[in-house]
Amino acid sequence: MSRLPIVNQIRRLRFEHGEMTQSELAGKIGMTRQTIAAIEAGKYSPSLEAAFRIAHVFGATLDEVFQWSEA
Amino acid sequence: MSFREKSAWITLVSVLVCFGAYFVELFSGLVGDRHFGGLGSLHLLLLSVLALAGLQIALTMIAALTTPKDGRAPADEREQMIQWRSQSLGYHVLMVLAVGLFAPAFFGHRGVEMANFALLAVVIAALTVSIAQIVMFRRGA
Repeated sequence: MSRLPIVNQIRRLRFEHGEMTQSELAGKIGMTRQTIAAIEAGKYSPSLEAAFRIAHVFGATLDEVFQWSEA
Repeated sequence: MSFREKSAWITLVSVLVCFGAYFVELFSGLVGDRHFGGLGSLHLLLLSVLALAGLQIALTMIAALTTPKDGRAPADEREQMIQWRSQSLGYHVLMVLAVGLFAPAFFGHRGVEMANFALLAVVIAALTVSIAQIVMFRRGA
């Protein structure tokens, strides 16, 4: 499957927030661990609401977590 | 593997086993007087449905016991999207097969025989949904 044009910093942000696990992040935003793994791997683009929830968990803005990549 | 992906595998395996056996028996004429299209096939169909229900209940209980807590959480947006896409695909497969039912009707099949062809279309559509779900779960979305 081709990668989506949206990259994210979720893995780094998890590491910087006490090495938060995918399961912990999933629990905080009402998603499954598998979905967090798919988002991190660039295989699934979350809805705008889910993207905001993820950014809120890390106390970051949306564009600090997700970036558009033309490459 | 999430609980929902396990459920898709359970549906795939149980439908393949139970209705696979049903249609193999039916089409190969191995059911004695329950020849293809005969009312006797209803007995075999009832057995297949009961076996399907039993197998699905047993495997689902095993999956629920062996799946971590996050795998049993309510379906999130990605899982719902996978369900919608797979069911949409299954619907289109069913529509094509439903139109295709004119073929056996054209060759003179009637009554219970046509009911079995319709059941085969439903089974193929259900298998399509399960396979599509498994593929999308494996790919990520």
